[in-house]
Amino acid sequence: MKPIRLLIDKLYKIRALNKAKPMLDAMDAAMFGTDETTRGKPHIVDTIDTKRYMSCAIAALVPAALASVYFYGFRAIMIIAVSYAAGLFVEFMFAVIRKHKIHEGFLVTGLIFPLVLPPTTPLWIVAVGVMFGVFFGKEVFGGTGRNIFNPALVGRLFITIAFPAIMTTNWQDPLTDAITSATPLSVYNSEGIMAPYLDLLIGTQPGSMGETCRIAIILGGIFLMFTRVGNWRIPVCYIGSVFIAALAGNHFLPEKIAPPLFQVLTGGLLFGAMFMATDPVTSPFSKAGKYFFGISCGILTVLIRSFSANVEGVMFSIVIMNAFTPLIDYIVLKFKFRPVKI
Amino acid sequence: MVLKKLFGPEGYKILKKGIWREHPIFAAGLGICSALAVSNKVENAVAMGAGVTFVLIATAIIVSTLRSLIPQRVRIITYMITIASFVIIVDKFLKAFFPVISESVGPYVGLIITNCIIMGRAEAFYIQNKVYHSVLDAVSNGLSYSYTLITIAIVREVLGFGTLLGFRVMPGGWENWVVMTMAPGAFFLLGLALWISRAIAERGSAEEEA
Repeated sequence: MKPIRLLIDKLYKIRALNKAKPMLDAMDAAMFGTDETTRGKPHIVDTIDTKRYMSCAIAALVPAALASVYFYGFRAIMIIAVSYAAGLFVEFMFAVIRKHKIHEGFLVTGLIFPLVLPPTTPLWIVAVGVMFGVFFGKEVFGGTGRNIFNPALVGRLFITIAFPAIMTTNWQDPLTDAITSATPLSVYNSEGIMAPYLDLLIGTQPGSMGETCRIAIILGGIFLMFTRVGNWRIPVCYIGSVFIAALAGNHFLPEKIAPPLFQVLTGGLLFGAMFMATDPVTSPFSKAGKYFFGISCGILTVLIRSFSANVEGVMFSIVIMNAFTPLIDYIVLKFKFRPVKI
Repeated sequence: MVLKKLFGPEGYKILKKGIWREHPIFAAGLGICSALAVSNKVENAVAMGAGVTFVLIATAIIVSTLRSLIPQRVRIITYMITIASFVIIVDKFLKAFFPVISESVGPYVGLIITNCIIMGRAEAFYIQNKVYHSVLDAVSNGLSYSYTLITIAIVREVLGFGTLLGFRVMPGGWENWVVMTMAPGAFFLLGLALWISRAIAERGSAEEEA
């Protein structure tokens, strides 16, 4: 470790690198941790900070990432690497120009984003998507903690709308590596055939890179909830409301709405509910708000899946509810803390 | 400073204001709806910019000539009638000579009537100023509206269609950015342009004060 310490100290002393100080700070902190302490009250006796929060989220994403590498091989590693490189570039630019520190938040965004892409996505589209997501989804609003929408979702939606031909029809069958235009959800929509549940759980059905292996996602999600980094209320309400809405819908309109267990195990629902809807920045902080957020996401997802031209509705529903998050919290606070009538 | 001599100090000031300091879209936020809608192709942007500039100049002449005759109470209606008649001229002209553009710009030519720039400038400037100054103001506002539209349209057409004024400029394997042909793409670009121009303007005013 000593030579690295010396190297970083040396880099600090070079005049020309003064502008790139945020970059050096980030390197320093990543290697040696930070010795900064909070100034001002209140003090909480715990070492939890954004860094540990983000480390936990990344640890929770590791099973899904490993599964994507297992199923799609080198391609998956390339996509993840491009996502990190392009996103960090934007992040560094803003840190240097705005003179703020590089936040750890990007490490999570940069890993979530590639995992929700189809494995055949061209690398330059990955770069465009993640740069757009970081730029318009986060930095424009003022950086980590101030964004209204989940940056990974903003990037994913942008490339979905910008390149519909590439993003919605080029899926890869994980077993045969053949390119197919059909995912379990679209097969159900067009032909009414359901993929076997076991295949869906293990991940041998086509889909987005990190969304197919549901066992890995459930493992990561349980870890996330166990460490309390992700609140359990949103995923439970989200998945539960999808289940109930699909149960009721399938009873009355069986040809339009898929059965509940199939809905839960297909598409990006588990991934979205565990890792994207729980984003502490873009979801409500009040408990009642969390319940409402999760339930609305679930109902929207079922509606979009069944009645719109889009096959999958998880991204859209989370982004729509992101927009309502401040309003939800505002209303909850209004009801909870009313002035006393005298 | 040929321009200063050509237009006189007052006129030069008006021109400069309209083109930069009081840019109708960036500084005043006027005319954004049509800027978003019509900037998908460069030819549409040129047609729309020319149309708005023409209507602006004509309105400036009529309103500032009649400014002492227009009763205070009915001035808005007077603007509307003046603007509407010139918009109809533009619409008929496009239909007769450029039917393709007229088809694709469609209802937005008719909506020049409600373009905030024209109403705004008429109420803020033409009703109080001489004909000459009003015409200069109309020219500068029309120009800044047009160049903004055309700049955005260049980016949108190149990314969204791979063409520029109908000619292919992007290589064969180019993947069209469908989002750029839709209104959301224009929102992002206009936002960016607004951001950049505000940043430059702020720097400029800070230097002036120092």
